[in-house]
Amino acid sequence: MDYPKEQVEELKRYCSKLSALAEGAVTFLYLEGLRLPTGCNPQECDALLCPVQREGYPSRLYFSVMVSSPYSRNWNVSNARIGERNWFAFSWRVTLPSLTLAQMLVSHLEGFAKQK
Amino acid sequence: MENQDVLDLEIDLLEFGERGAEIPHAKAYRVRVDGQEVRVETPCPTGELLLNKVGKRSCAFELIEEFVHHENNVVEPGEAVNLRKPGLKGFITAHKEVVTIFINGDPYKIDRGERTVADILSKVGQTPAGYILMEEKDGPPLPVPDNKPVRIHGCETFHSQVWSGGSS
Repeated sequence: MDYPKEQVEELKRYCSKLSALAEGAVTFLYLEGLRLPTGCNPQECDALLCPVQREGYPSRLYFSVMVSSPYSRNWNVSNARIGERNWFAFSWRVTLPSLTLAQMLVSHLEGFAKQK
Repeated sequence: MENQDVLDLEIDLLEFGERGAEIPHAKAYRVRVDGQEVRVETPCPTGELLLNKVGKRSCAFELIEEFVHHENNVVEPGEAVNLRKPGLKGFITAHKEVVTIFINGDPYKIDRGERTVADILSKVGQTPAGYILMEEKDGPPLPVPDNKPVRIHGCETFHSQVWSGGSS
C-alpha cells in the first residue's frame, strides 16, 4: 500500500527514521525515535502507525514501550507481535476523517495530553 | 567630506565612548552587548539586530543602551541606534516581564513564568475543552498536556487545533 509522498515526508519530521513495514494486507509506518509530548517518559520511543482500520479502530498507533504520561491511559494492547517485535497500544479513537498521516499521528499523541 | 582612510577602520565603541571622542564613520564597529564584543557593519543597526548578535530576540529580551555618564535608554526592536552617538559605550539586555509568544503565527503578549494551557488558548479565544495546544520546540508541533503548567520564557511558538481523538 502506498501513501502520498508529501504526507510521508511530513511524517519524517516527527522521528529520526521512517520506513514502511508490510505485514499481511497492512503497510505500517515504522517511526524510529518518535518524539513524545512534554511530560512523557520516555521522551521518545519507536512506534508503528497503522493508518487503516484495525482492531475496531479507524487507525492505531503502537508504541515499543508502555509510555508513562500526564494522563494515564487504558493500554488495551500488550505485546502485540508485529514485524517480529512486541508492541503496546492504548485505547484511543481518532474520529476526524481525511487526516494527513502527520495529523493522524498527532491526534493519537493527543491521548497523552488530554483527560478523555 | 569623509576621510576614506577612516572609513576602512574598525571602531571600538567603548574605547571612543570612554575617551569622549567623536566617533567617525567606519567600515565596522566593535560593540559590547552584555559584555560580549560583537561586530556591526552599519552605524545604525536596529535593536533587533543587536539582540540577534548575542543570540537573543525581542520577543523575550529588551535592549538597553549604556552611556559613559551612566545614562541608560531602552531601544525598541525596530528602532535604529546611532552608534556614533557621543558617550555611547555599549548595550545590556534584560529579560522582559511581559514577553511575546506566537500562536498560529500571530504574536501575543503574556506574563513570563508558569501559565496554564487555558491561559495560552484564551489569547486566541479558545478553551482546552475544544482545542488542543501544541508547541513547536526543536521540531514539529506536539500536544501540550492541559494539566501541567507551561513555562513561558518568551518567543515560544504554539499552534491550536480542534481535538480529533478521544478515549474509547
